[in-house]
Formats: sequence, structure tokens, C-alpha cells
Amino acid sequence: MSQDVVLSVQNLTVVFHTPDGDVVAVNDVSFDLRRGETLGIVGESGSGKSVTASSILRLNNSNTATTTGSIIVSGVDVLTAQDSEVRRIRGSEVAMIFQDPLSALNPYYTVGKQIAEAYLVHHPRASKADARGVTLDMLKKVGIPSPEKRIDEFPHQFSGGMRQRIVIAIALINNPKVLIADEPTTALDVTVQAQILDLMKDLQSEFNMAIVLITHDLGVIAETALDVLVMYGGRIVEKSTVEALFSEPTHPYSWGLLGAVTSLGTSDRGELVAIAGSPPSLISLPAGCSFNPRCAYALDICSAQVPLLRSVGTQGSVTACHLPNNEILTFGRKAASR
Amino acid sequence: MKQRRIIAAVGFALVASVVAAACGGSSGDGSEDGTPTKGGTIHILSNGEQIAHLDPQRNYTGDDLAFAGSTMHRTLTSYAYAQGDEGSGIVPDLATDTGTFNDDATVWSFTLRDGGTFEDGAEITCADVAYGVSRTWASDVITDGPTYASSYIDAGDYPGPYKATAEQQAAYDKAVSCDGKTITFNLKVPVADFNYTTTLLAFSPVPKAADTGEKYDLKPVSSGPYKIESYTIGKSLVLVRNENWSQDSDPVRSANPDSFVYEFGLDEAVMDERMIKDAGDDQFAVSAGIQPENLPTIFDDDAFKDRRVDEYDPFVTYTNLNVKNLSCVEVRKAIYLALDREALRKAGGGPYTGDFADGFIKPALALDYKKSTMPDGLNVDGTANVEAAQAAMTAAETACPEVATRAKDGLSFYRPATPVWDKAVAIWIDSLGKVGIKLKDEPVEPSVYWPTVMNPETNYDIARGGWAPDWANASTVIPELFTTSGGFNLTRNADDPDYAEFQTKVDAAKKELDRVKQGVMWQELNQYVVDRLWALPGTFTKVQAIWGSKVGNAYQWAPFGAYNYGDLYVKS
Amino acid sequence: MFMFIVRRVFFALVLLLAVSFFTYMLFALLPSDPAALTCGKNCKPDVIAANRIRLGYDKSLMEQYWLFLKGIFAGRDYGAGAAAFSCGAPSLGYSFGQHECVTTLIAQTFPVTVYLSIGAFVLWMLIGISTGAVAALHKGKWQDRAASIFTSIGVSLPTFYIGLLVLFSVVIWLGILPFPSYESPFENFPTFLRTMILPWSVLAVLSAASYTRLTRNGMLEAMNEDFVRLGVAKGLTTRIVLRRYVMRQALVPIVTIAGLDFAGLLGGAIITESVFSLPGMGKMSIRAVVESDLPVLVGTTMVAAVFIVVANVIVDIAYGYLDPRVRVK
Repeated sequence: MSQDVVLSVQNLTVVFHTPDGDVVAVNDVSFDLRRGETLGIVGESGSGKSVTASSILRLNNSNTATTTGSIIVSGVDVLTAQDSEVRRIRGSEVAMIFQDPLSALNPYYTVGKQIAEAYLVHHPRASKADARGVTLDMLKKVGIPSPEKRIDEFPHQFSGGMRQRIVIAIALINNPKVLIADEPTTALDVTVQAQILDLMKDLQSEFNMAIVLITHDLGVIAETALDVLVMYGGRIVEKSTVEALFSEPTHPYSWGLLGAVTSLGTSDRGELVAIAGSPPSLISLPAGCSFNPRCAYALDICSAQVPLLRSVGTQGSVTACHLPNNEILTFGRKAASR
Repeated sequence: MKQRRIIAAVGFALVASVVAAACGGSSGDGSEDGTPTKGGTIHILSNGEQIAHLDPQRNYTGDDLAFAGSTMHRTLTSYAYAQGDEGSGIVPDLATDTGTFNDDATVWSFTLRDGGTFEDGAEITCADVAYGVSRTWASDVITDGPTYASSYIDAGDYPGPYKATAEQQAAYDKAVSCDGKTITFNLKVPVADFNYTTTLLAFSPVPKAADTGEKYDLKPVSSGPYKIESYTIGKSLVLVRNENWSQDSDPVRSANPDSFVYEFGLDEAVMDERMIKDAGDDQFAVSAGIQPENLPTIFDDDAFKDRRVDEYDPFVTYTNLNVKNLSCVEVRKAIYLALDREALRKAGGGPYTGDFADGFIKPALALDYKKSTMPDGLNVDGTANVEAAQAAMTAAETACPEVATRAKDGLSFYRPATPVWDKAVAIWIDSLGKVGIKLKDEPVEPSVYWPTVMNPETNYDIARGGWAPDWANASTVIPELFTTSGGFNLTRNADDPDYAEFQTKVDAAKKELDRVKQGVMWQELNQYVVDRLWALPGTFTKVQAIWGSKVGNAYQWAPFGAYNYGDLYVKS
Repeated sequence: MFMFIVRRVFFALVLLLAVSFFTYMLFALLPSDPAALTCGKNCKPDVIAANRIRLGYDKSLMEQYWLFLKGIFAGRDYGAGAAAFSCGAPSLGYSFGQHECVTTLIAQTFPVTVYLSIGAFVLWMLIGISTGAVAALHKGKWQDRAASIFTSIGVSLPTFYIGLLVLFSVVIWLGILPFPSYESPFENFPTFLRTMILPWSVLAVLSAASYTRLTRNGMLEAMNEDFVRLGVAKGLTTRIVLRRYVMRQALVPIVTIAGLDFAGLLGGAIITESVFSLPGMGKMSIRAVVESDLPVLVGTTMVAAVFIVVANVIVDIAYGYLDPRVRVK
């Protein structure tokens, strides 16, 4: 592991035990995250991206989920560490923000108290006055107007965008090395979305923080990420840089995703092409490549064997597809040019 | 001066022997040594929330009269403190004797004995007795009590002591007058057994200064061996010794226990369990009434034989027939013969509820009771005799065809709307149906039942009846139930051809000063009614009770069908 | 906030007025005749008529009601001449059956009901919330199943049955406790405790059941909330998350419902008081129904209504305090 890898996920597999059977929500996911970088994780609902994110802080319910693999943060494997170790990491080395700011905050306490709480947990010898001072600074930093007044207000007195800023404040108050943002802008409207993304970028450079940004919105990825993981059916199907993804996507699923995106710049008033079919049921995944029922390019082998990740192209992309490299690149470029 | 009459020799001897027995102490309950010991606390367990009335002029319930009279309220005359029929005899209490009267028993005098005191030590004077009696006239405040005083004594328009003008009060003082220690009552009608009437607590003394009117019910002043220490409705009533009562002045009461605790508001099932268990203070407790499901436990097991009783209470139940509508004795006979009294009794709870009555006077009124001859064909075991009933109906069709037809068309049966009566009326309908008599069930809201049937406008054919004598003389039974001036006559028999003769006989009995002779006359009159079936005799009801193992003298006092509470003692 | 309270109090008074009015009206519709109920053997129609006048039922219903209302503020006089007496304000009437002003009767019986209610309340909240919490934390396991059995039993068994069963087994068969005989805690504290422990327990166990379920479900719902996850993600210990996040949310509806339940109990736990012979307001009111003692009936109904209304106001205010989102500005 190189010096500046702050988070290393190796062979993460999460199996949920339900009354209807076992669900493999995350299947053999591995990635490294370096200091200051942003990794985007893209996929539909049920692709396993959120479960991957929550596994990093060991937030899955151990009664219903079996998590295997390793998640190394600051030399500690989160999955096997003691509870006290994990709690130390949570909120201080690795912080998380969730999708819905309207329900992310405890409605019964003031925002000041909640931010201070996050600080005091990891600075137990700090005084309340200290914590309050730090909280005020943070509120200013995340762009809350009149923070001296608003610090004693309750979450319901803030708009969605403001609340997400407060969530970010809570996450960043202890200068974490890694911020996991699970769909941070999905519940916000477009203008606020942009503000939040900008805020995150500013704070990232200020704190030299790595970000794992989970989203189903390719536009967001384009804006913020350096590298991208595309997940489908619990597995990584493509790993590439953002440029590579948008110029030379290397998986049929990615091609479909790009086809389903419209950008303001394109001239043709082409239709949004949805990917045929629907996401697979995680309980009964298709045999072989889970994408094969919806894949226009499926081969016989696709329904028999799970494709393994392999390099393709010159931009460092990795893909899990049985198609030969040259076809992948051809189709990919075509998809990107649409 | 009034002439004095001595009661006939036999009657006097009876009374004298009872007085002697009373003076000599109670006869005990017969199962052990019977020597009462002084001291201890008797507990009385009750499901009720309070004693209905402790005000002596308002007290009219058998159990409460027995309780209050034996502990707190002395009267001019009292019943003998004795078991069995002896308890129905009268003895002097505050008076020196059982009263003297003039030729026609319209003027009665009693002389108060020395030494009677209230709980504050004040002497009980004639004026106190007169005042107490006068309260009965204040019927807007002093409610629910017996009104014999105001109906027997002529005091003009006297409205009671609270509202009387000087003139009205003077009229009363003339009717009930005091001369030293002698009190004289001027009655408007002859009352041969007025000295029985004076056993009612309505003739108890009340000190005028302590009269709190409506509220006297909570704290009456005691003239007896015990006084109220505390009275909390819903919780308890505690009586302690009246230090100012002297045994010398009171030949009647023994006052053995130191105190009484009357516990209210107890759940009936719990009460039974406590009495059966007989633990701790419950050994000194008495309770009245036993839940039907516990009767076998107590009466089939000899372990309880010394502390249980299954005896007659003073009540008789019967059925009134509207003699005006059912003017034909054959039809009345048919009804009685067809009725399955055994089924009725079973539905009501079985043999523990009572025996089949043979009239309207119970054996406890020893002088007035004689076993009656019942109508021909009436089954002793209470079952219906359908053939005899049918025969009676057939005879009726000839003798009084309209009445017979009326019976077949439908007779209105007025009864209280309660679950118990729902079951009973079904048996009535079924029984009478077997001989072609139809019944129309008319259920009446229980609290308005008596006012409804007592209203002359209500045209019932059959209505229920139940009665107990107000004192131990059938003069409070036969005239009340069957004469037109009676307070509770639901038979509407005024037009019956035999009524005139009946009335004459009743008048004679009421005037008869020889108690024994009078008793024979009541016996005949009872038979008279039974022969004509103006009402159908129902049940001589019984009471069952259980008391703690350390309670002595727990006999049922004949005149009241309740314990003689004041005569109980704690066994050491 | 002040105007909010003023408004609520005003409406509460209107409601109480309506309650008293309807009680009077309903009473008038009852088939039984109160004047005839104490009649005894002398039950002739003229006696009953006199009784009716004495009790005041000869007056029109509106007049009766008006006298009642007046009495609350000015006291009320009864009787005439030397036998006159009065009930001081606030007079809720006079019970001729118990020879006492209704206000006094309520003052005497109410403390018993209060002691019963408070003891039961504390116990049932403790039992209910703790069993519910255990069930939620061990969802699906035997603790959860046991709690759900407990809930079903408690919710379905009638008080009367359980009360008598407990009384019989503990007092009669096992002889652990003596028969309940109420004494004021200021006069005889040991007897008071010994008497109250059974009714407290019976009421508590039966009422706790629904709180077990409420707590369990409330906690499980809360545990699924996003903000709870965020709390964990902050690195807080499980205990703190349970307290500040999970329980804090779960308790809000529980506290409000408990407030209303408690107020209802203050109106008189009739069955419990009867089985355990407690001279409380519940027993007194059921007796008033049976004996058609209108003044007592109206008095106890009003008192019970007062508690429900007051409890509602308090709960409304408390809810705003407990849940900032609902606060009135």
C-alpha cells in the first residue's frame, strides 16, 4: 500500500440473510483511495453501492449481514477491529454523509448541539465552550448565514440545502481523511446541488480529504470525480478515470448509462435511450454475467461464466466483460460520441 | 285516669318467661358452654357501601334495625335477646314495663326507668322520646322510615319539629304528652299491639339540641351501650363502648364486645373466601349471605357446622292476583295448581332460597302461625299438578266463562325487568300454557315496579309480592296485604263477595287485646285468604350465613332475619 | 405560547360545561326513577312524589341544571327551617344517599384513586418501557417473543378476572399478604403499602402490555431512521445512541399517550377499586349509577372530565416541548 492510500477495500463481500434467502449485495469489491482524491461509485438502485459505502464504517447490522474481506483505514481493518477502534474511526478518520438531509439530523436537538457532539466524541477533554467555538467556525465554513443565531436552532428550521451543509459540517468537524458521500445531492434541487458540490470541492482542497462519492447521476460524477467505479448487481463492472468513462467506456452497462444521459451541449435532439429491462433481483441473480439479460451484445458465454475484471485500452480502464477488447473499445467510443 | 288492663294470664306468662330469660343472659348458640365473655372486637363484613340509615327515625331495614337497635338505639320496648321463636317476644327496654293502655287500646302509657343516659352522659327524658317520635312527621327530611307514629297518632296538621308553628307543636305535645317520666300516646285508632310498634327505632329518643336533621344519619347520638367512633361511607363504621351507658338501666343488652368494626365495600366472593378461611381477625367476624356457588362448600362440610346457619328470614314471597279481573276462584286455583313452583325455586337458586309457603305468615310468628290447608291437588313437592289444574279450568268454563276466556286470551303479568325474573317468567308462561292460560309478559324497570303496580290505573292481572312483618304480629301482615286500607294490598279484592266478612273479621282481630286469642284469629284469617287464593303463597325465604369460629351467640334474630349484633361476643 | 394556553383553557371550560350538560340530559333519559330507589317498604306513590320534591327532581331539567351551575360558584342551600343546611362553593350538589356534599365526597375518595393511579402508572411505565426496550434490542430472539406473549396476555385479559385471580392466589391460597383493607398512607403506611401492592401490580401488568408494544415498535422504527445511522457514524457509543437518538424519538408518543392514560385512570379505576375494596372515586361513581344518585354521578363525571381535559392540554403543550418540530411559535 503506497504512502498516500487512505482507504483500501479488498474483496469486500456482503451477504444479507433474509427469510427469502441470502442476498449477495456486494460481491468481491476492491478499490484503493488516495489522499485528496475523489472516487465516484455509479450504479442503479440495488447495485450495491450504498452497502459498500456503509460497510466502510461497519454500519451494517451484523445480525442480518455477513461481511467478508478487508477494509483498511489508517492501518486498521475495520471489519475485524474492536468496537472501540471502529468508533474511534467513525466521525474522525472516516466520516459519512447520507442522502436525505431532511431525515439525517436528530430533530430533537439543536444543530449546534449535534455538531458539537460530533466534536466532543473525539475530543473528550474539550470544554463545551471550545466545542461551541469550533462549531461556529464550521458553520461559517459550510456557508450558513448568521451562524451565531442559527447555531441554537432546530433542524426543521432549515431548508434542505442548509441541512445538508450542516450534515457536512458534522462530517468534517474532526478533519477526516475520508468522506463518504452517499448520494449527497439526490434529494436537493439542481441549483442547491451545484452549491453543495462546490462546497464539497472547496472543503476537500482545504482539508486535503479523499471523497468516495456515490451517485446514480453521471452528471455529478463528471463534475467532481477523478476515478469511477461502475457497479451492477453487486459487482464492479468497470473501473476507469472519468475522462476514460466519458470518452471510451468499456462495459455495455456504461454504454447504456451514457445513452441515457443528455447533456445541454449536444445538438441532436436524440431520445433518451433507456436500458431495456430492469435491475436484477439480488436474490435470484442471472447466471453468469448479471447484466447479460439486458445486454445487446451478449454472447453465449455471458450466461454461463461470470466475467472477471481485466485491463482494456490505454487509459487504465478495467472491465468485467466477455467481449474482446477491440470490440469493447469500438462500441465504447461509439457510445461516448452520441 | 285511665283504667289499667293486664294482659291475659297466658300471654303475660309468656312475656314474663321471656323477660326472665333475657335478664339471665343470652342462651348462647347451643353448641358450647354459652357463657359470654367480655372484650374483643367483632367485625361485620358487608358488600354494601354504608348503612342505609343510622338515623333511628329513618331506619327501616331488618338488618340495620337489628344492628342499630342492639348497639346504639334503645326504644321503649324491645324484642327479647333470645334465639328462636323466643326472640319474637317483647320485653321492656327504656320503659319499666310493656306499657299500659285503656279499654280500647287508644291511649298507651309507658314510664321510663331510671338511669338511661345518652353517650354524653345526659339523662334520657320523656321529652327526648317525644322529640324523637315527632321527627317522623317531618317527612320531607326524615324519609324512608316507618310512618306508624304519624299514622296512628293524631297530631292534626303537625309538619314535624323543624317547621312547626307554636300551635302545631302544641297539638303534637297534646297527642304525645309527658308527665314526669311517663309518656302517653293518644292514638286515633285502636292498636292492640302498640307495644310491638314501639320496638321500632322510630320510637327511640333523640336529644333535640343534637338533631342535625338530614345529616343525623351520619352521627346519631347513642342511647345504647356503644357509640360511633368513626363512620366513613365506603370504608367502615367503628363503634366503641359508650362509657355513659349503665348496665343497671338496661335489662336487655349484655354489651360483651369492646367494639364493633363494620367493614363496607367488600367483594362478595372475597367475603366468602375470608369467612371460609377463618384466619386472623376474620375469626371474630360475621357476614350475612353466601354466594350460591359456595353454599355446597359450607353446608356439605361438617367442618363448618358450628358456624353456619340456614334459617328462615322474616320474608314471604307470593303472587298477587287481580281479584277484580280474575273474579273466579276456579281460575285462580287453576293458575296455582298449574304453576311449577319447584322449577321456579330451582331457577331462583334451589332449596337454599326457601321452602314452599303455606300462607302469608311464617312460623317465626309463633302465636299467629298455623299450618294451612292448601287447595286440593296442590303438590307438596312444588311440582305442577296439570290434571287438577285442567279440571279447575274446566270447572271455570262453566262457573265463570268470561273469566276463563279472559285467561285463555291472555293475562298481563307485571314483573321487574331483571335477569332473575326473565328466567322466572319463562317458567310461568310455560307452566300456565299447559292448561291453556296465556300470559303476557310485562317487564317493568325495577325501580319503578312498586309505584307502577300500586297505581290504581295500572291494570295488571298478576303481580309479584313480597312482605315481612314490621313487628312480630300478623297485624302487620294480613291487614296490610289484604284489606282495602292496607298499605300494600295489590289483590284488588274489594269487590269479592267474601270481602265484607273478611273485613269484619280483620277489624275484630285488630281490636283483640288477648294476644293469644288474637293469634288464633290471625291463623284463621290466613287460612281465609289461602282458601280464596286472593294471592298465591310463594316461598318462605331463607337466609344462610357464616361467622368466624371465635364468635359466640351468632343466632339469627327471629324478628329481623339478621344477627342480633349487640348480643354477639368474642370467645376467648 | 400564552395565547395558545389561554385558548386551550377556554375551550376546556366550554367542554366541561358541555359534559355537565350532557350528563344531566343523559340522566334524564335513564329509565330508573331515583325518587323510588330508596323507597323501602313504604313505597306508596305519594311517598315517592314527596321524595321527588325533596330530591329536587320535580323541577324542570333546565332548572335543575341551572341550580347546579349556580352552586359551583355560589354554593347551594338545602332544606328549610331548622333542618336547613348548605354546601359551600364549589358545590357540585348534595348526595341524599350518603348525606354529604358531593364536593366533600369527592375530596374523600379522590386521594385513594390518586394513590392507585400514581403507583400503577410508575410501575407500568417501568415495566412496559423496559420490556419493550429489551424486545426491540433482541428483535426476533426469545426475549422478543416472550415480550409479545406478555403483550397479548396483558391486552386481552380482563381486569376483573386477573384481579380476582391475583387476590385469591396471593392472599387466600398462598397467604403472603393479608386481605386488602385500605388505610391512608399518612395514618398507617405499612397497611397502605400492603393493601396497594396488589392493585398496583395488577393494573401495572395489564397496562404495561400496550406500552411494551409501543416501546418496542417505536424503538425499532427509530432504529431505522437515518439520523440514528448518522449518530452511529459519528462514532457515538451504542448507549448514547440509544438514549439520545432512539429512545428520545420512541418516547415522544409514549409520553403523550401515557399522560392521557393516566388522566383516564384518575377518573376512577372502577373494576380494580371494586375487587380490592378501595374506597376510591371509581367505586363511588359506579355506585352512583346503580343508585341513580345524580349529584354524585355528575360530580364524578365532571371531575373525570376535568382530568381528561387538563391532561389533553398538558399533553398538547408537552408534545411541543418534546418534539421541536411541533412547537407553537
